[in-house]
This record gives sequence, C-alpha cells and structure tokens, in this order.
Amino acid sequence: MIAAGMQSQDGHMSEPLPAASPILVTGSKGFVGSVVVRELLQRGFTNIRCFARTPAGNDKLAELGRKFPAARLDVVHGNLLLPDDCRRAADGAVLVYHLAAGTGKSFPGCVLDSAVATRNLLDALAGSQTLKRFVNVGSFSVYSNATLRRGAVLDESCPVERAYTARFDAYAYGKTKQDDVVAEYGAKHGVPYTILRPGVVFGPGRGGSILGRCGIDTFGFFMHVTGRFPIPLTYVDNCAQAIVLAGLAEGIDREVFNIVDDDLPSSSRLLRLTKRNLGRFFSVRVPYPACLAFSCAWEKYAAWSGNQLPPLFNRRMCAAYHKGNRYSNEKLKRLLGWSPAVPMDEALRRYFEYRRTAAAS
Amino acid sequence: MLKVGIVGCGKIADAHAEQIRRIPRCELSGVCDRDPLMAEQLAERFPVKAWHTDLDQFLETVRPDVVHITTPPQSHLPLGLKCLAAGAHILVEKPFTIDAGEARALIDAADRAGRKVTVGHDGQFSPVARRMREMVRRGYIGTPPVHMESYWCYDLSDPTYARALLADKHHWARQLPGGLPHNIINHGVSKVAEFIESDDPDVVAYGFVSPFLRGLGSTDMVDELRVIIAEERGTTAYFTFSTQMRPSLHQFSIYGNRNGITIDEDRRTLIRLPGTGFKSYAEHFLRPLTIAGQYARNSARNVKLFLKNEFHMDDGKYRLFRAFYDSIEHGTPVPIPYREIVLTTHIMDRIFAQVSAAPGRAPAPSGATA
Ligand SMILES: NC(=O)c1ccc[n+]([C@@H]2O[C@H](COP(=O)([O-])OP(=O)(O)OC[C@H]3O[C@@H](n4cnc5c(N)ncnc54)[C@H](OP(=O)(O)O)[C@@H]3O)[C@@H](O)[C@H]2O)c1
Repeated sequence: MIAAGMQSQDGHMSEPLPAASPILVTGSKGFVGSVVVRELLQRGFTNIRCFARTPAGNDKLAELGRKFPAARLDVVHGNLLLPDDCRRAADGAVLVYHLAAGTGKSFPGCVLDSAVATRNLLDALAGSQTLKRFVNVGSFSVYSNATLRRGAVLDESCPVERAYTARFDAYAYGKTKQDDVVAEYGAKHGVPYTILRPGVVFGPGRGGSILGRCGIDTFGFFMHVTGRFPIPLTYVDNCAQAIVLAGLAEGIDREVFNIVDDDLPSSSRLLRLTKRNLGRFFSVRVPYPACLAFSCAWEKYAAWSGNQLPPLFNRRMCAAYHKGNRYSNEKLKRLLGWSPAVPMDEALRRYFEYRRTAAAS
Repeated sequence: MLKVGIVGCGKIADAHAEQIRRIPRCELSGVCDRDPLMAEQLAERFPVKAWHTDLDQFLETVRPDVVHITTPPQSHLPLGLKCLAAGAHILVEKPFTIDAGEARALIDAADRAGRKVTVGHDGQFSPVARRMREMVRRGYIGTPPVHMESYWCYDLSDPTYARALLADKHHWARQLPGGLPHNIINHGVSKVAEFIESDDPDVVAYGFVSPFLRGLGSTDMVDELRVIIAEERGTTAYFTFSTQMRPSLHQFSIYGNRNGITIDEDRRTLIRLPGTGFKSYAEHFLRPLTIAGQYARNSARNVKLFLKNEFHMDDGKYRLFRAFYDSIEHGTPVPIPYREIVLTTHIMDRIFAQVSAAPGRAPAPSGATA
C-alpha cells in the first residue's frame, strides 16, 4: 500500500514512503499532536507510534484507532527526559514528528521539556539507519522583530531572538534552545531535520484565549494594542497538514518553515468576532507607542527594583506581540505544496462553536 | 567578596540566583549541573562566568566559599559532603535530607570540617515570620507556647503538574519516602519545630489520597495529611497539608498563656489575638473593629514595604541567604539552629512512617500513635 501522503499535490516528493513505515509522533495527545496523528492516518499510514507522557487523553487515540481499524496505533507512555524512554520511542522510526514541548512559565522547566527532551530524543536517534526525517515543531515566538518596521513582513529570514533576559519569555527561550539543539545534531550527527514554526494554532480542542497577540489581559480589562495588523493564526487542521507534509517532501532538509493561514484577520476583527461569539467584555484601545512606553517603564522598574516586579512587560515582548507585522506562507506553499484546506472564516466558525459548546457543558 | 556557587540548575536554582544577585557583597561565580543544557541556561541568563557538568571540576576551578545545593533531595548528603570536603559552606534546599539520620550526618560533617550549613526554609524569614518571631521573643504570647496550628497546603488543581508527576514513576519527588508532601511540608513543619523543646515529640499522623488524585488514577500518592504533635511540657500543634482545601492556606498560629498571633504567608498579614477581651457586648462590637484595623495596618505596611523595594516575592530567601553569609563572614550564629533542622526532619520521618497507602489498594486512611 502506498501512503496517501505521497499523492499530495505538491509534486516535490520522490520515493513514496511505504504506508507501514514506523512513524513516531511525540506530544501525540496534545492539541496539535492528536490532529497530526489523525492526518497521518487519513493519508494512509498504518504504523504510528504515539508517544505520550500521561495516560490522560487515551480515549482520543482509541477513537482514532476505531476509525482506522487497519492501522496500528501504538501508544507508548514515557518521559522524554528519560533516555531509556527515548530509546523505546525512537527504535526503528523512519519519520519523527516531534511536538512535545514545555509550555510552562519557568525558564528551567521550558528548557527541560523543550531542549533537554529534544536532545535526549536526538541522542536516541543519532546514528539511526532508518531515520529519514526529524520534523521539529518549533514556534513563531522564537523570532525577534526588533529590527522590523511596523507592518513589515516577518518571514523565515527574520533573526531569532537572542536577547533572552530582555525578552523574559520562558516558552520562547525553551523553543529557541530546542531549535539550536536540532540544528546542532543536524550539523554534528547528520540528523536530517526540518523545522516548522506555527503561529497561533487554534481550533476545536484549544482552551484559553487566542487574543494573546491582540493585547494585554492582565489588569482586569482588555488592553487592545495590535489594532489593524493581522494576527498570525493557523487552524489546527491546516497546521497539522503542513507538519505532516514536512515529513514527506524531498529536498527540504534543514529548511525552516513558518505556518500561518491565508486571509489572516486583523487584531481588531478577531477581537470583535471573539466578543460577538463568546460574550462581551470591556476593552480599551491602547496605541502601540503607549504600550511600548508602558513596557519600557515596567522593564526599567524591574531592573531598578531587582525584579520586585519581574519584567513580564518589556519592550521586546511588546514588539514581538503587538508591533504589528505581516506574515508570509509563501515558502510553505512553494516547497511543500501546502495550502490551507479550511478557509479562515470556516476555521473561526468551527473554533467559536467549539468554545461555545465547551462553555455550555 | 564571597564566591557563591550553585549545584543543580533546575527550577528552584533560578530563585536562588535571583536573590544571590541582590546581595551586594557576593558574586555568583559558577554553576554546575550534570546536564550541560541546564548548566548553560542558568549561566547564560544570570549571567555567570563559568558553568560545569562535573562537581569535582567545579569545586576545583571555582573554589566557592558557599555552595547552594539545589538538586533533588536524594543527592543532598553525598553532594553536601563533597562540598564540605572541598572547604565550602553549604546552603541545602529543602527537604534538607531524606531523613534525620542523614541530616545529623551532614551537620556532623560540617562541624568536623569547621564549615557552616543551613537549609532553604525561607518561609522562616518572610516579613511576617520575622515579625512574629520578634514578638514571641519579647514575650507577647507568654511562654511557653500552649498550642500551634500550621497549615502548609499545595494547590494541585492544575492537572498538568499532577499528571506529569503521576505519569513519571521515576520522578524524584515520588521516590521520596513521603512522596509529594515530603517535598513541600518542610516549611510548615519547621514553623512548629522552632517552638518545640523536645528532640523527640509525639507525632500522630493521618493521611490519605484525595478524591482528586484518585480520579486521576493514583492510589499510592498520599496528598492529604493531618498531624498532631505534642511534647511533655504541654505544648501541642496541629499540622495540616492539603492539596484540595480552599483557600490553599499557608498559615501559622501560635497561642501562649497570654495572647496569640496568626500569620498568613499568602496575604502577608500578622494579626495579634489578644487573650483578654473587652467587657460584655463591647467584645462583639469593638473587637471586630480592632481586628479590621489590624488588617488595614497590614495592608499599609505591605504597600510601604513595596514602595521601599523590600517586598520581593522571595524576600525570605534573600534574608536567609544574607543571614547565612553574615554567619560565615562575621561569625554570627547560623540563621537556622541545627537543632531545628534535625527536628523538622525527624518530625517528617515520624509522619511518613505512619502514613502510607499500599500501591493498588483502595486508599484507606491510615493513622497510628507514635
Ligand atoms: N498551540 C499553539 O498555539 C502553538 C503555536 C506554536 C507552536 N506550537 C508548538 O506545537 C507543539 C504542540 O503544541 P500543543 O499546543 O499541541 O501543545 P500541548 O497540547 O501542550 O502538547 C504538548 C505535549 O508535549 C508533552 N510533553 C511535554 N513534556 C514532555 C516530556 N518531557 N516527555 C513527553 N512528553 C512531553 C505534553 O504531555 P503532557 O500532556 O503529559 O503534559 C503534551 O501532550 C509544541 O511543540 C508547541 O511548542 C504550538
């Protein structure tokens, strides 16, 4: 059997990957990981090792197993911080989709679950005779737009943020270190890798707000900052498709791809839609320069006071989230033949519907 | 300039590094972790000149005056002994050691090496804990304490942490004799230990697995503890650890034969509880007002401390570290008496010896008289 992934529209793939090739997905019960597993099954792959830290969420995978009875879905429980578990996960894998990551607020915690976990997994894979590609799922948050003007295009050529202490973003720090580890193993051990950096992934299954890049919600009301500029959203199904394609396409070793959908809504529109669909709340429009000045003052106070208030608001963070850029998915379309299957309006409709149903139950 | 090093670059090491850099007369000279990525990330962010993955090499090249040991507790004794042998004073994160036997061994080794040791019971140095200690010293409650109540809770409602801990049978916190509470209750127990005179008080413990954890499939991780501690001279204490009660309290009350005091570490309040009342109805009408006044003064004091830049989240750590460094440089007493360190560990040993739920068995509450 030939995996359906090989018949994708891109025309960049050579030898089709046999459908029974062992494929490892880490973070497989997470929000994006579970959709990546479904996408692989839909493309006809039949031998998927779903690596997960905890038994919670087994029902999601069991349901997929029932939908695709011909496929073998092995759920392997383990912790990527343990080398033995990594060896069990990596054994014989031909393709690895690495989605496990640290998402907390502690710097060491994020380094552990993003960078150390990735290093351990790559240690287990280094020298593997079977591995064809390691698809590393990174994040948009690693970029610095300090040198970009407002409205300029942020794409794969943008520099990665290296002023870690000034940015004070534990998640971004962990993801940057993760990408560094992957690049190092590519260079030193010849691990064939591709890095994907999704923007804000949304869709059914995602709890919490997707307004983080629109403004600040810390002080009891919503400070809307990003205004007319677009928010780099990607619908979870579209994102998962891009991730899966990155494991199958030829000639993209060591490439980096950003994932954003077409027809991105402006921050103002997203805020309006959120209020309309999920209920009204009080928001105040704060111009970006005012937000920048506030962040600057906060940052200076943090430094002066020895972090009596930590620099959670700072200029680099303010710029990264609210300066307002435009985003490109041109590389993704050109090299992977990807295009978002679910249009933005439909994606937003499904997401809001999910949130309303979740709130009601 | 005191040369300070950190061994173990995990989550708590950040809090140490943060406070060490606030102390002017010391320098964070090097950090060490078995994992190069962890050592590097701490060194890179604070920034520290040298990072190491080998303890011997770290001790040899950095030659620290003080080492903060922030590794999992199972390693505290061997790492502590190594640092002492290399001539360093040591500040050991809580829990100090696995049990009281190890605690005594580490303190004895420090004495033999002519070095000092302390434990990261920073809750003892929070602004309200220091005020309370001073009031007790001045005789406000009358002596000795008649009864104490200590709550040290932990909010496990975020299932991310609970699940991660439950999924990982090898997690060091699960390997401790007392499991999850072993890593947390030290602060609450040490508050009691400070005012207990006996080296071997009676301890009666009752523990069980909360319905929340059972719902997540855990039958062996006790996360609810109720403890009575008593000594012959008549001082008693209740200690409570809960992952489920709300609010998730961090409170300590001490009652003497004259007055009482309650401190609340979350709100950073200290409330005097006068032992004598107003006459008749005035107790009902005026006392609530005087207590309201106390809360208002606590608020004002907190704002004042904040404006004076003396209200950091980890102020207790800052005070503890400074007092420890003072004791090293100026020969002042160690901030936490060795007796209190050993007694805290001893009481915890007694609790965990009584509270255990066999894996796979329905979580029958267990209790026994010591
Ligand atoms: N969601 C977004 O908006 C977004 C945007 C950009 C990039 N990304 C990236 O996309 C990937 C997936 O994101 P997501 O939203 O699906 O995250 P998620 O739902 O939090 O999933 C991450 C998964 O990683 C697992 N994990 C963490 N540490 C682990 C360890 N030490 N060993 C084994 N498993 C571990 C977690 O397991 P537990 O469930 O046991 O904790 C979790 O299932 C991540 O790499 C993330 O950085 C996401």
